[in-house]
Amino acid sequence: MDTSTILCRCEEITAEEIQLALQQGAESFDDVKRLTRCGMGQCQAKICRIPVSQYIADCRTIHVSTVPLPRLRMPLRPIPIGVLAARMDSALAENALLAEAEQHQGSKAEGGEAGEK
Amino acid sequence: MRSEYETIIVGGGVIGNSIACHLAEKRQEGILLIEQKYPLTGTSGSTQAWVWVHTKTPAYYGEFSMYSSELYPYLERRIGDVEFHRTGGLAPFFSEAERERAKRLAESQAEVGIEIQVLTRDEVLAMEPALSPEVAGATFSRIDGNVNPLRLVEMYMRTAKKHGVEYLYYNRVTNLEKRQGSFVVQSKKGRFTAKNLILCAGVWSREVGKMLGVNIPIDPVRGQILITEPLAPLLNHTISSMRQTLNGEVLIGYSHERAGFDRSSTLDIMQNTASMAARYVPALARAHVVRCFSGIRAMPEDELPILGKVPGVEHLYVAAMHSGITLSPLVGTLMTELITEGDTSIPIDRYSIARFA
Repeated sequence: MDTSTILCRCEEITAEEIQLALQQGAESFDDVKRLTRCGMGQCQAKICRIPVSQYIADCRTIHVSTVPLPRLRMPLRPIPIGVLAARMDSALAENALLAEAEQHQGSKAEGGEAGEK
Repeated sequence: MRSEYETIIVGGGVIGNSIACHLAEKRQEGILLIEQKYPLTGTSGSTQAWVWVHTKTPAYYGEFSMYSSELYPYLERRIGDVEFHRTGGLAPFFSEAERERAKRLAESQAEVGIEIQVLTRDEVLAMEPALSPEVAGATFSRIDGNVNPLRLVEMYMRTAKKHGVEYLYYNRVTNLEKRQGSFVVQSKKGRFTAKNLILCAGVWSREVGKMLGVNIPIDPVRGQILITEPLAPLLNHTISSMRQTLNGEVLIGYSHERAGFDRSSTLDIMQNTASMAARYVPALARAHVVRCFSGIRAMPEDELPILGKVPGVEHLYVAAMHSGITLSPLVGTLMTELITEGDTSIPIDRYSIARFA
């Protein structure tokens, strides 16, 4: 295989980029993924899992069965947010950031860092 | 590989790597960083990575976060592109009652120099047209932004290595003890000694601290995040539950659950998160989710960073906190000062582990 061969089509990651990640100490598919984005695209590693795992095994001279599988996550195929949200009462779906900020403000009375300098 | 070091750092997340990088930049030699798996496997690799300041309270903690955020441009010039963008941060609210709360926040944060504008509905919609017309207003601050956490940790690590820091991956620490003035670190790949020991174990801090009889009261909190397919530019700012990455994906989430070390994704939270997304930005209802992920965040007992020397054990340091991405440039800087000069340029006493004693 040429080092310019693309192993991850969605993110256009080449064999050479995967080699570089392995040289940085990455060992598993997921280690390589976080350094290169390999497997992070539309297919979520459904296409590149086998060739990349095989390539990692070849580079590390281990058997492909010992390369840990990438972690699969829901959804198994892309699904619109509107479909996921359909059952929920959207009026409840607000985060409480400002309320939380106010709650922690309690200890403010102790004074700020600026006052300590 | 040698076995004696000046400094050993336990933990290769964003904090351990930032300290390694900053220490090495100050020409400290003989640094070893030990990571139980590979950097980015844990908390630092499963975050939206906001560099977030304006709603951080108490105000002194907001101020601390602001200083760290302000170090990012300089950091990026030194370690390379980490996709830091000071987008400005918006925290939308949906009822007029919240406006009073927003004003109080703006007033108290102004005392420490964090500028917050409380926006009307029209103002916020002019700045962020994709937000729901149901929005009542928002707090806005220019100081907030985001960064690519994967690039950030990688660049800290590359810079540290360039300056001679040694790394051991997939090397779980099994025992720590202090013997005759130096620390003995027993790990899967061998036994190492060091004069200084820095514990940067994040959510695993309790377990690591116990090995030395030090109580580091940090518990795991799970956060679940949805990722959309890449979309055309939709969001201009970092919004207090979502942000759009450079390549167009939108990261969405604001959940926190006590679920131990379980990193599962659960349907109820995914549905809640999707619902929040559609409520905040109606156009997102048509966007496809390609993946969700879940990270366990470090949550100190009082939610504030645990930083500095460990009283009673000379040359032992701890740096563990929530919001490590926002705080890593400042924490790396201050911990380096503490270790090389014995003191820090701004006080960190409030964050001492001694407060839990």
